[in-house]
Amino acid sequence: MKQILTVDDSGSVRQMVSFTLRKAGHEVSEAVDGKDGLTKAGGAKFDLIVTDLNMPNMDGIQMIAAIRKLPGYSFTPILMLTTESQAEKKDAGRKAGATGWIVKPFNSDQLIAVIQKLIK
Amino acid sequence: MGTLDRARSDLQALALTAETEIGRVAGAFEDLAGHTGAMLDLAAELVGCVESDSMGAVLNEVQSLGAAARLFIQERLQATAGILETVTGEVALLRHLAHLTQGQKSVARESNSLSVLTSIEVARLGSVGSGFQYLAHELAEFSRSVTEDARVLATEADDRRQQVEEARRALGREIPRMHAEFARIEAGLGAALAVADSSFAELSRIPVQFRQCVQEIAGQIAGVVAAIQAQDITRQQIEHVQEGLTLISASFEDSAPEAAAAHACAGLNIQIYQLRAIKQTVAGWASQIQTCMGGIMRISSSELVAIGPVVLGQERELSSQLARIERLEQECLSYNESVQHALGGLSSLMELVREHLDRSKAVRDRLQLLMFNSIVEASHLGGDADAILAISQSIKRVAEEWSGITDQSAQAMQQMMEMVESTGRVMHAFSDASNDGLRTAQEQTRAGLEDLRGNVETAGRQALKMNDATARLQSRIAQAGDVGQLFDGCLSRVDAVLGSLEGLHRESGADLPRTRGRIDAAEVERIFSSSYTTEMEREVLRAALRGGPLPSLQQQLGGNDVELF
Repeated sequence: MKQILTVDDSGSVRQMVSFTLRKAGHEVSEAVDGKDGLTKAGGAKFDLIVTDLNMPNMDGIQMIAAIRKLPGYSFTPILMLTTESQAEKKDAGRKAGATGWIVKPFNSDQLIAVIQKLIK
Repeated sequence: MGTLDRARSDLQALALTAETEIGRVAGAFEDLAGHTGAMLDLAAELVGCVESDSMGAVLNEVQSLGAAARLFIQERLQATAGILETVTGEVALLRHLAHLTQGQKSVARESNSLSVLTSIEVARLGSVGSGFQYLAHELAEFSRSVTEDARVLATEADDRRQQVEEARRALGREIPRMHAEFARIEAGLGAALAVADSSFAELSRIPVQFRQCVQEIAGQIAGVVAAIQAQDITRQQIEHVQEGLTLISASFEDSAPEAAAAHACAGLNIQIYQLRAIKQTVAGWASQIQTCMGGIMRISSSELVAIGPVVLGQERELSSQLARIERLEQECLSYNESVQHALGGLSSLMELVREHLDRSKAVRDRLQLLMFNSIVEASHLGGDADAILAISQSIKRVAEEWSGITDQSAQAMQQMMEMVESTGRVMHAFSDASNDGLRTAQEQTRAGLEDLRGNVETAGRQALKMNDATARLQSRIAQAGDVGQLFDGCLSRVDAVLGSLEGLHRESGADLPRTRGRIDAAEVERIFSSSYTTEMEREVLRAALRGGPLPSLQQQLGGNDVELF
């Protein structure tokens, strides 16, 4: 069982990510925006983070850049889960330190399979 | 301006309402999915019972039992066909034996006559003929012994013949009935095994059906998960329309009146397209949630719930088939006694014939020796022993006749051995020993069915739990309400905003012929495209600028894949 943090300002999306990952046997924590996500990542060590891009207070790219500076998070997989599909946004995400990109809605099986692969 | 502000405000309220309502749906779904998961776990345990090793083993055991029972019946069917043939052959052989004993008696009488003649000649020859006294004695002894043997054999053969003829008459009446009965039993067995095969085929389909059901439910859960996320996309699209409306307001304030009217008109058209697309998307994911929730609901009436009773039913069916095979076996065994009675005793007769044959061979050798001795002795006496010489010649003829009878007895003996062998096969088919294979198969099947019963009892308990889980799931579904109705409110609010924007667009487009030439499509795209971040919105924007139909928006039931960097 791995510790996973899901960050999204949409409660229903957080709920669906948590539902999918808990069903796969993981322990999931939730954060409502980038700032909340950064605080929670600083307070505990997560094995993987799934984050939205557009959020109030701090967006996903800013949050990833900040988390990468936290001790122990240099190689932690961080997946972007967003409605955005523009190449420049993906490029910005990669430069900030994202490991992968998922355009909403996500495929549950694919998400679980990739997470298993990333946190093996 | 007032209309745009109202539209922006309505859209904001709509986004909030949709978020709240989708939150309720998500909560209800998670609850349903949890109960569905519990039901699937129970069903998996049930299927585990069906798929267990003992289940596979009992299938093999029932098939072995079927094969053993078929062999058991077929051996008896073949044996009944051979019984009459064997008995008829035995009657013919016994008649032949009677004929042989007649020949032996004739030889005995002739030997007796020769013995008397020899004694007379011994008396006539006086001291010279005393050497032939032994010949007379031997001939008398031979005659007495053959007479006695022939009498014993004739009596035995006659008794046996009467017994066999009586059995033949009885079997002649009984065998057609026995044959018909065995054929009926075989047909009954075939039907019983067909039922058992079909039961197992039905059981073997359950895991496949379960896997299909699990796959279907997994797809439906994925569909709900994807649709609930689609709400987030819609929320962003609504925000983007709000941004667009803000831009339209700004263009009214900042631009020259004619260009501003043209851009505002084009911008309104884009927002109308976007709202129509949003309406289509909301209807799409509401319908997807409804369909998938309906699919999950259907599992309560699916075959999963019925697995336990089905397995129990199959076990009962197999047990009744086993009992039926046991009854068939008992019916077959009831024939054993009558067949054993009809065919028994032949071997003791054969023993008697064998002893008789051995003695006949010894007698034949002794007769030949007597004949040679008497001829040699008579030749020493010359003319005085002409009568003895004639007796010796007669002994030679009797010895030859006896030798012929002995050969025929040997042939009869050979036939009798063959008959004993075929009778042995028939008798074996109707003996207790022939049931061994069937009994072993029955014991193994009984043990296998006991294991199966154990599994089925477990399955029955799981089925009860599953019924409870189904009831809980149905109660949760009733609480969740109709998803379609839940979203009707959202759709009507989108319709209201759409109606007000369409009215505004019609008003501002009243002098469209005058402004049309001043619309710069590239400039309009530049102004509004920054608001649209999803591929779907960009497609809608292009359609609005072209004035073409709204693109068909495909809902992705399974969702999108992960792109790793």
